[in-house]
Amino acid sequence: MSTIETLKKDFEHYRAQADNSAFTQQRESAFVELQKLGIPTIKHEEWKYTNLKFINELHFQSSCLHTEAAKNYYTQNIVQTLKANRLVFINGSFEATLTQIEPEDAAIVITNLAAARIAHADMFSKHFGKYAIIEGQALNAMNHALMSDGAFIYVPEGKQTVYPIIITNISDASEVNVLNQPRNLIVVEKNAAATVIESFFALGNHASFCNIVNELYVGENASLEHYKLQRLQGEHYQNNYTQVFQEGNTHINQVTLTLDGKFVRNNLHFYMNGENCNTLLYGLYLLDGNQFVDNHTRVEHAKPNCFSDEKYKGILKDKSTAVFNGKIMVHLDAQKTNAYQRNQNILLSDEATVNTKPQLEIFADDVKCTHGATVGQLDEEPMFYMRSRGIPENVARKLLLNAFADDIAEKIKIPELVAILEEQIEKKI
Amino acid sequence: MLEIRNLKAEIEGKKILNGINLTVNSGEVHAIMGPNGAGKSTLSSVLAGRADYAVTEGEIMFEGKNLLEMSPEDRAREGVFLAFQYPVEIPGVSTTNFLKTAINETRKYKGLEPMEATDFLKYMREKMELMEMDKSLTSRSLNEGFSGGEKKRNEVFQMAMLEPKLAIMDETDSGLDIDALRLVSNGVNKLRNKDRSFVVITHYQRLLDYIVPDFVHVLYKGRIVKSGDASLAKELEVKGYDWIKAEVEAAQ
Ligand SMILES: Nc1ncnc2c1ncn2[C@@H]1O[C@H](COP(=O)(O)OP(=O)(O)OP(=O)(O)O)[C@@H](O)[C@H]1O
Ligand SMILES: [Mg+2]
Repeated sequence: MSTIETLKKDFEHYRAQADNSAFTQQRESAFVELQKLGIPTIKHEEWKYTNLKFINELHFQSSCLHTEAAKNYYTQNIVQTLKANRLVFINGSFEATLTQIEPEDAAIVITNLAAARIAHADMFSKHFGKYAIIEGQALNAMNHALMSDGAFIYVPEGKQTVYPIIITNISDASEVNVLNQPRNLIVVEKNAAATVIESFFALGNHASFCNIVNELYVGENASLEHYKLQRLQGEHYQNNYTQVFQEGNTHINQVTLTLDGKFVRNNLHFYMNGENCNTLLYGLYLLDGNQFVDNHTRVEHAKPNCFSDEKYKGILKDKSTAVFNGKIMVHLDAQKTNAYQRNQNILLSDEATVNTKPQLEIFADDVKCTHGATVGQLDEEPMFYMRSRGIPENVARKLLLNAFADDIAEKIKIPELVAILEEQIEKKI
Repeated sequence: MLEIRNLKAEIEGKKILNGINLTVNSGEVHAIMGPNGAGKSTLSSVLAGRADYAVTEGEIMFEGKNLLEMSPEDRAREGVFLAFQYPVEIPGVSTTNFLKTAINETRKYKGLEPMEATDFLKYMREKMELMEMDKSLTSRSLNEGFSGGEKKRNEVFQMAMLEPKLAIMDETDSGLDIDALRLVSNGVNKLRNKDRSFVVITHYQRLLDYIVPDFVHVLYKGRIVKSGDASLAKELEVKGYDWIKAEVEAAQ
């Protein structure tokens, strides 16, 4: 059965047992939107370099499989040394036995979305589905219509997470080609602060496709440290849509680390809905083999006096490919906007490719906006300089690439994450 | 220690070295002078193993080994050091980390254990004192944002750290102020001993007042056209190169 037919069947199955709530109706209309749009092809401007034809070709099935292998994989692979609150989802559904909540963080709601819809109905309906756009966004619509479960984080006004919250999504493709569609909602209320890590793994010899949607709301004067760690070795595909809605005076530091990925498309959107926001978004991708990663970012300055700083860096080996598309939108009344954007790439092989494109849409006149992109090889001169001091080529290369990655690494405030990054650089180069 | 025989090298088909012969024995200091574009930096690059240059003829023996067959890193580990005319800036790599890596890679090559972190820092501190290096420089990224003079001093400091057998210094004196020139020369003199040799490329007699060479050679059009003792440098200072060029033309 093709993936689309499976989706239809899954949806019929869902509808047969669903209530008639607004929640269900939203999902109905999302499904209508998906059918109307179909899966985007490369003729679609937003998907020009990013071919989704695998969705139909690979005949994915939704699966509730929770194998011991996946649980063991989790215990072995996630930084256990880091004291943290933890939620784990396997193939999109909640694995309650692996939940860990630190007593110091009892004031924070850390649970799964399905439970929150009932237990925290007010907060849920206030924010759910309010930020991630469905119109014209086929994959968002697909997630909305057919989402499984996901994380629900609620940081009440004035509260702070003591330990980071790690949301782990594992795709387990040990039996069939699996499709999973997790959905997260993270709400950080006024004057609150939180650290959240989203971590993605996959296992199994079949293919998996994770189509995840994240909605984040950051209230007035709140701050958020947000990390994404993507380690998808093997035939694992991911479309990761994140919409961050910021009120005034918010501070966000976001770092996306794509350390492995057969196919990763990140859509990261920030909407600054108040003045004096600070939005920092950084990314690093390390690719080899025929891995592919596409970072589409969109930073929307809707109000005056906000600052955004964006830097994405990539190291590409073998036949890997990266796409970067960074859009900065400055609305008419967003005067005194400061927005910076850079994308820098190092190609370690002649067969690696980068397509990079900044897009500025500026409607205000008193703004400072800069952007720049570079694609190049490791410089010969530093290489020779190091070798002339007795440092062999591979070590010199590692030093130079670590130095290249360093200004992203220094944006990461969690040493355990930096260690993972360094280990991966070591391993890949 | 070093024996260069009939060395010819070119880049992109352009002949630059046209038969260099030079013998450097242990403990000797050789100065190489010569007009701009004569091939001095090319000679030092070929010695260090820069791949851009094609050696078309001749040989270079270093301590009985064929230098031309070695990679740049192996040459360094065997004891060849080049102080660059234009040292390279390497953002994100600290001088400390760089030198620790260089020393430990060289130790590995010689079958020695890596230096302990504390021993290394102690060793580095000693060398910094010896070379009168400022601490603020070594804690920064390698050469990044260093002034021209600071870069040159850092080259000599690296030389002190790596303790080579043969140090080739390509215009290390250019761009130094009077005090820095004295510091650099003092540093070099402290490193002089009966086992270590120097090839000092310079345009100025002034440096040779501090670092007194055993031999002075004039390189012109890719050949050593005149050799002498320290007095040759003084003669050049007064008379310039024209008389030598004339001699060369006359001989042809
Ligand atoms: N990469 C290169 N490509 C083309 N020509 C080169 C290259 N490197 C050196 N040359 C040429 O070779 C000749 C010798 O250059 P070299 O740098 O060795 O001179 P030098 O004696 O060190 O001069 P200076 O005193 O100015 O430092 C010059 O004519 C120079 O232009
Ligand atoms: Mg020169």
